Amino acid sequence: MNDAQSGNSQIAAAPSPRVARHKGIDRLYHWLMAICIFTLMATAFLPILGFKFEWLDIHWMTGVALTVLVILHIVRAIGWQDWRNMWIGFADIRDLFRNVAHLLGARRTPPLPGKYDAAQKLYHLGVAIVVLSVVGSGLLMLLKIDTPLWRRNPYLLSSNTWGIIYVVHGMAAMAIVAIVIIHLYFTLMPDSWYLLRAMIRGSISRKEYLKHHDAARWKA
Amino acid sequence: MEPFRYSRSIYGGAKQLIGANWDLLPIFVGAAIAFIILHAFLSARAKRRRQGAP
Repeated sequence: MNDAQSGNSQIAAAPSPRVARHKGIDRLYHWLMAICIFTLMATAFLPILGFKFEWLDIHWMTGVALTVLVILHIVRAIGWQDWRNMWIGFADIRDLFRNVAHLLGARRTPPLPGKYDAAQKLYHLGVAIVVLSVVGSGLLMLLKIDTPLWRRNPYLLSSNTWGIIYVVHGMAAMAIVAIVIIHLYFTLMPDSWYLLRAMIRGSISRKEYLKHHDAARWKA
Repeated sequence: MEPFRYSRSIYGGAKQLIGANWDLLPIFVGAAIAFIILHAFLSARAKRRRQGAP
């Protein structure tokens, strides 16, 4: 191998200064989901807080859009993404305890996670449970309204069953408000700005990757 | 505070469950804010400790 070839191979082997974190389609999903969630929260809670407007059509149409997005996300996560990135394993439970120990002063540094840390995975699990609850109950509630696509049929279920569906929808909706507030807090924390940039640009710098992540657990 | 809302059935006046009580909303918001305050306090303390470490 001559010097030129050797130099080329070194260039080829040099790591990229940017580390890909989110593909364009995943970022699009995240931001479309955010728009849907904020629209649904506004149309759900503003009328309760006294701001009267015709909220129902915007609410159910946005709910249907969110349902489509969630289905696409599940299909993509199972078929095209590495779902193990979001799986909560033994190491994550251990990391969670280490993070708590760090916060309480029993440990000097927090553990370095893979692509997602234990708290993010737990958060994702919580969001999944709450959003699936609100989407599932919301789809059933569509049976109670007339739309261009179907006629209402409120007699399909008993009054008690409807009551339970409304409780699930309402509780999940209020839980979403709490979840969104906590999400905004973590997004705005200076330590997490690099994650917000990644959700906009799609990548993080190699320096951020090495500072915040365990390269053995997230190979990039 | 009642966690649920009820109405009276038009058929005989039986108590019927109609949904979650919206008065719970401030409790959900308060829980989120309490979590944030606790986390911010503990994070700041842990950061100070880390920066003060040799």
